[in-house]
Amino acid sequence: MTSVELIGKLREKFGAAIQDVCELTPSKVRVEVAPASVVPVCEALYRDLGARFLITAGIDSRAVRGCFDVDHIFSLDPDKMFVIVRASVPPERATLDSITPRVPAAFWAERELYDVLGVKAEGHPDPRRLIMPDDWPEGLFPLRKDVKYGDWPAVGGENADASYPWKPAPEGTSTVVVGPFFPVLEEPAQLRLYVDGERVVDCDYRGFYSHRGIEKMGDSALTYNEIPFVAERICGICGFIHSSCYCETAEEAMGIRAPRRARYIRSLMLEVERIHSHLLWLGIAGHIIGFDTVLMQAWRVREPIMWLCEKITGNRKTYGMNLVGGVRRDIPKEVQPELLEVVDKIEKETVAIVNAVIGDTVLKARLSGVGMLPEEKAKELAVVGPTVRGSNLPLDARVDHPYAAYDEIPPKVITHPDCDNWARVVVRLEETIESIRWIREGLKQMPDGPIMASDIPEDIPPEQWGVFVVEAPRGEAIHYVVTGGDNRPARWRVRAPTYQNLQALPYLIEQETIADVPITLGSMDPCFSCTERTEIINVRSGESKVLDQQELLRLSREATERLRGR
Amino acid sequence: MAISDALKKLFPKSLWVYHVNVGACNGCDIEVINVLTPYYDAERFGIKLVSSPRHADVLLVCGPVTRQVLPSVKRVYEATPSPKLVFAIGSCACGGGIWHDSYNILGGADKALPVDYYIPGCPPRPEAILYGVAVALGLAPKKAAPVHTKQKFLEMLEKGEVPGPQLVAPPGDSE
Ligand code: SF4
Repeated sequence: MTSVELIGKLREKFGAAIQDVCELTPSKVRVEVAPASVVPVCEALYRDLGARFLITAGIDSRAVRGCFDVDHIFSLDPDKMFVIVRASVPPERATLDSITPRVPAAFWAERELYDVLGVKAEGHPDPRRLIMPDDWPEGLFPLRKDVKYGDWPAVGGENADASYPWKPAPEGTSTVVVGPFFPVLEEPAQLRLYVDGERVVDCDYRGFYSHRGIEKMGDSALTYNEIPFVAERICGICGFIHSSCYCETAEEAMGIRAPRRARYIRSLMLEVERIHSHLLWLGIAGHIIGFDTVLMQAWRVREPIMWLCEKITGNRKTYGMNLVGGVRRDIPKEVQPELLEVVDKIEKETVAIVNAVIGDTVLKARLSGVGMLPEEKAKELAVVGPTVRGSNLPLDARVDHPYAAYDEIPPKVITHPDCDNWARVVVRLEETIESIRWIREGLKQMPDGPIMASDIPEDIPPEQWGVFVVEAPRGEAIHYVVTGGDNRPARWRVRAPTYQNLQALPYLIEQETIADVPITLGSMDPCFSCTERTEIINVRSGESKVLDQQELLRLSREATERLRGR
Repeated sequence: MAISDALKKLFPKSLWVYHVNVGACNGCDIEVINVLTPYYDAERFGIKLVSSPRHADVLLVCGPVTRQVLPSVKRVYEATPSPKLVFAIGSCACGGGIWHDSYNILGGADKALPVDYYIPGCPPRPEAILYGVAVALGLAPKKAAPVHTKQKFLEMLEKGEVPGPQLVAPPGDSE
């Protein structure tokens, strides 16, 4: 299906409800619809045309067009196309029908829409606060343009004692509170497990402890070329994907393209980052289930990568290589043999670890059949990355929507049919090897030439847009940029892969034992850290028992020990 | 008495450290964990990462303090038995970093807890983290003597040559 056919289909079905169409490229279209038709249009895209929901971006366009724009972004993977469904609502009545009942993957996106912009999703099944801190005043929406940067409410205001409205525990269950500091996650978050004996019946999640308000910085305090450096600090593990994704998006909005050599350098660094991230994850996963040797070995093998990154970019992490229009540093010829040497060494050692892990019957028994996510469910929840590929769906942004140099060297997409924790482990391990192959290939084919575009426009007109997805080690990261005045975007929307993956957690751990929760969470490689304590409250007797993080790790490790003893 | 001598008295044995992320991007956090892995191996100095603040002598704080995390991190500090040390690891924990003026950020770790030592860097290298802890404990000699630069700066301030905030002398380290 081409974009023309798609628009034809939508017009035929919805007639005048399709108010306007803006075709950025043949693979990126924005359809403006009447607000009343937003639900049927999104449903038609999702159910009939097989589109996958990516994210919602709300924009305060009151100064330009007197309305709030709500953009639901979809991807049609087989057609390599992005479709944005835009509905504009008047400021006096900032509500829009919720698409979540029809498109379940929009669950968090619409909660966030209200939190940051104050556009209410009418009919949303769970309109609780998602992003803003508990003590944040009601009715103050940071992404509205009339909220001046720096004018923030003091801590300890009217809502100082507010606490999060947790879901009530189901009848007959006990509550296990995990977090906000928790070992499997690198950022703080709180999880409540409602358990009946050892089994998890339901759970509730309060995250965004690390919310830093990056999008507001992007549209009020930073300039186009400062954003890549902040974008890279969204995540200290896979930051380069964010700066690359932002740059590709901003370049598209400005109508330029980075030179080929720069795109190869981006891809190379992205693959280097994937190797370091997957090895890091492998170590942590090993630690969770009591294989500390895996932690030590995986991190030992990973270390030369960090040294190499320092050599190429000047920093072990947070490379600071990207700018809109290209990259700041070349990979010099002299470093290339060394790069290959390190890659050879890592390959040898990684293969040894991979074989040891895959051949370990205890590990396999511990991880198989746990944290099941069948294909259908994975599709519905729109999970991404190794989580979806572990459910046998070949979804990979590098192939589906090529960016950087992946149009010239597509990677092999690795899937696994088992749909469980084991599958997700195997997918990551094989991907590490595939990344090594890509680096060799990439270095061989890397063309000479400039590393920075020469046609960057002096003045960037407002209201231009671009959208890109980049395959991070954890899945797709999405950036959406709408240009504005003052040398900065009017809106910069970021969605990290974990945002979508975490929404699958209740489904994954339902009916699992408490001991399996850490590794199931870990199998998604969520980007967030560390347990202050785990408190078990017995709802029936009202007793509460405090477990610390060791206790939870102990439960997880004992489950492994039992298998070893068998 | 120099601080490092006092520390030797207060913490004569292994140091147990607890790591708290108060809103970091994970960059600092992975470098903290890296310090414990084979190439850096902090355990040879008796430094051990523990999983509860109740067992810890030292808190390693990474990241800028977010509004949401503030009450929790205060509880972590209270749960840590005295005497205790707090290290701010990374530019964010040292002063809020690039996020310092964002709406959900209160600033560096000292906005939530009393911080004893600052290890800057974005992220600091594992060597820097090890070195910072070792210097604090008197295990490694200080290579730079910040006292001189500080005095020069103070002199200039007095003469009115540098406009800027008043400098506060660090607590009594007279080495
Ligand atoms: S100092 Fe740098 S690496 Fe550390 S948390 Fe802040 S942004 Fe991340």
